[in-house]
Amino acid sequence: MNRTRNNPLADDLIRPLLHTSVWFYGAVLVLATIVLCGAAAWAYQVWYGIGVAGINWPVFWGFYLTNFVFWIGISHAGTLISAILRLVNARWRRPVTRCAEVITVFALMIGATFPIIHLGKPWLFFWLAPYPSAREIWPNFRSPLVWDFFAINTYLTGSLLFLILPMIPDFAVIRDRSSGLRRRIYGTLALGWQGTTTQWHRLEAAMQIMAVAIIPVAVSVHTIVSFDFSMAHVPMWHSTIFGPYFVAGAIFSGIAALIIAMAALRRTLRLHAYLHPLHFDNLAKLLLLMSLLWGYFVFSERLTVWYGNQPSEMAVFWATQRGEYASLYWTMVFCNFIIPVGILSFRRLRTLPGIVLVSCGVLVGMWLERFLIIVPGLANKPLSYSWGTYSPQPTEIVIMVATFAAMALLYMLFSKVVPIISIWEMKVGNQPHPALPADEEEEQQGLWRARP
Amino acid sequence: MAHRWGMVVDLDKCTGCEACVTACHAENNIPTAGATEAGRGRAMHWLRVERYWEGDFPDVKVKFKPVMCQHCDNAPCEAVCPTYASHQTDEGLNAQVYNRCIGTRYCANACSYNVRFFNFFNPQWEKPLQLQLNPDVSVREVGVMEKCTFCVQRIKSGKSAAKADGRELKDGDIQPACVQSCPAGAIIFGDLNDHESRAARLTHSPRGTKLLEDEGTEPKVTYLQRQSWNEPDTQ
Amino acid sequence: MNAVYALYDNPAAVQRAVDGLRAAGVADADIQIMSSEPFEEYEFGHKDSASWIHWIAGLGGITGLTAAYLLTSLTQQAWPLRTSGMPIVAPWPNLIVIFEMTMLGAILATVLTLFVSAKLPRRLPPLYDTEVSDGYILVGVQRTSGQPLGDVTAALEAVGEGRVKHVGR
Repeated sequence: MNRTRNNPLADDLIRPLLHTSVWFYGAVLVLATIVLCGAAAWAYQVWYGIGVAGINWPVFWGFYLTNFVFWIGISHAGTLISAILRLVNARWRRPVTRCAEVITVFALMIGATFPIIHLGKPWLFFWLAPYPSAREIWPNFRSPLVWDFFAINTYLTGSLLFLILPMIPDFAVIRDRSSGLRRRIYGTLALGWQGTTTQWHRLEAAMQIMAVAIIPVAVSVHTIVSFDFSMAHVPMWHSTIFGPYFVAGAIFSGIAALIIAMAALRRTLRLHAYLHPLHFDNLAKLLLLMSLLWGYFVFSERLTVWYGNQPSEMAVFWATQRGEYASLYWTMVFCNFIIPVGILSFRRLRTLPGIVLVSCGVLVGMWLERFLIIVPGLANKPLSYSWGTYSPQPTEIVIMVATFAAMALLYMLFSKVVPIISIWEMKVGNQPHPALPADEEEEQQGLWRARP
Repeated sequence: MAHRWGMVVDLDKCTGCEACVTACHAENNIPTAGATEAGRGRAMHWLRVERYWEGDFPDVKVKFKPVMCQHCDNAPCEAVCPTYASHQTDEGLNAQVYNRCIGTRYCANACSYNVRFFNFFNPQWEKPLQLQLNPDVSVREVGVMEKCTFCVQRIKSGKSAAKADGRELKDGDIQPACVQSCPAGAIIFGDLNDHESRAARLTHSPRGTKLLEDEGTEPKVTYLQRQSWNEPDTQ
Repeated sequence: MNAVYALYDNPAAVQRAVDGLRAAGVADADIQIMSSEPFEEYEFGHKDSASWIHWIAGLGGITGLTAAYLLTSLTQQAWPLRTSGMPIVAPWPNLIVIFEMTMLGAILATVLTLFVSAKLPRRLPPLYDTEVSDGYILVGVQRTSGQPLGDVTAALEAVGEGRVKHVGR
């Protein structure tokens, strides 16, 4: 039982850090250019005023807030899913967790920039933070935007630590297996990690507590994002279902993003030995579950509005159902419900290309869902004289595209710096179990199977 | 006792002439957006006259409804502001502090009446129009919200004029620009805590309704309207 | 200081080495085990485990809760501004901020405890071997200079496999 002589695991997982193809540099260049275009578009907007965007009276929130909710939703891919899988000790989680947590951190960072981008005076965004200032005024804790500030801060801090802590042992492995500058850099990042039993215990205990803490935080984050809408008297915003509806939608789009990221990693970093069809199949089943849940929430929301028959809400209802926004609405239903249920329900169709295709559709559908929640309600408020419409302008579109490029870019760069699959957690998964006396072995059989 | 400013709009008197809108623009330094931008929904009218048509041609009735900030007691716009830019003053005004505003535009979304306006660009006046700007009212910069203030500058100067003369403030001393300019005398402004004021008496008129009353916002603007006006022909 | 350690390539041998060291009279606290993965399934893997870290997390949560309660209620009273007819100290919205700061307090306390009790960050100590990252498991004992380590060496060699190495002197 020699586990050291051939140690392909660490070699395989560190390889992407040591060898970089020309394609990588090309892709980085292209993505960085797009991100720079986005930055330029934002600078243009700051210079001339936010009027260069398509928002208007009465649709004061448009693409920016749609993207905010979308990206915060994507962020539920990681930490939440990986924390749940960690707590229930799902054996198959080990190669998946870090891919997922990285999505969370980057999606949160990108999502959190949108409320700043959308401000009339973005240079004053820090007025949301509670600090003693010469203005002697503190944030208004009754405002959902301040709740957002606190929730996103907690979630970002938590997920960042949740991502970084298990990276320390992996940094130590890279430190010990490299030389020169790389050894010094990773040596610093490893913080002098030796892998003593104390260190492992503290790390595992901390991860356990963090997993327990991060789940309610993740749920609260998207609930609070939904409160941004449900606290306002806007038709079809003011709904008690929004909290769970948004959380379910967030996990739904998060899983879709995770599947796409994993498929891309598997192909580009040649991780076929670690990301098995089984992982995609399990995630696809979760995706199917979330699709059904999403359908349930949408049906409940629509039914109660239709049955309640309030004039102002019905204006929004019909605008989405068969009016101005109907094509977007039915595309959403098609992408989020009909396609996922139609493909993922059948084992024969649940192939890797099929799953990735469904996931791409879900991302489109979930983006549309957020747009259709925000815009039609604002465009059809109770006084019909003030009805309006919205069409996005180039600035908004460029910035939106740039954030997708930024996500891909950050993800690629990350996978070049940190092993995208946790080395030590994979090793634990491959551990042989010690020999036990026959009767004890018998007793533990069931347990062994259940253990990670 | 503190003042509690309120307004009454008599829809039976309103002719839809929009003199109030013009006066409001002039008094409060409200920039005009121009045709293109107005078409894109960037026009700002702290006070607008909504027109609603009823019936089919030729038997058409037009109804005018001047709509400005309703200065709600339970204003939905206030709590959602993260920086207290929007809050309720001791005199019942729904105040907007431009220097605190960072432009989240949440208040405008929360407002059921859509009476809040956003400076999408820095305001500009073609020369020599900048000379007619009212020195008592600050010009708002890009990225902040603005809305009807019940001409708070006139409330202030009315109070200080009364104080300088050493007398009590009388009903009618303070007239916002829209009230002053309405040829039909359809808009009445006054202290709702002064039970003798015209505004306070008319607030309790049987003709009185509040706009979107069922939203529970408790507006301080009352609309007067003969209730039989809409009754269908009995023939 | 001087130290002796052995590298084993399987956890079963490590368990025997640890048992041997204990039999030779080495205190548990002096035995250091380093590995590139945790071994939950072996007795030696449970050395130094502790459950008080949960209590520290709870304390962090309480700290966050108190801080948030004070922050929200005191600042609302410091400059009372009325909004939407809500009370000056509005309990329902404040609860949301209190919840978030409670969780933040718990998370930060947990991570702080991890760093302090696992003695991170630190310089890599002399008793270490980069082969640990290749999958070997290190069992070592460290003593102040001058103290003999013959008993330890003997116990480590008694396992019958692995390589024994010396540090210092």
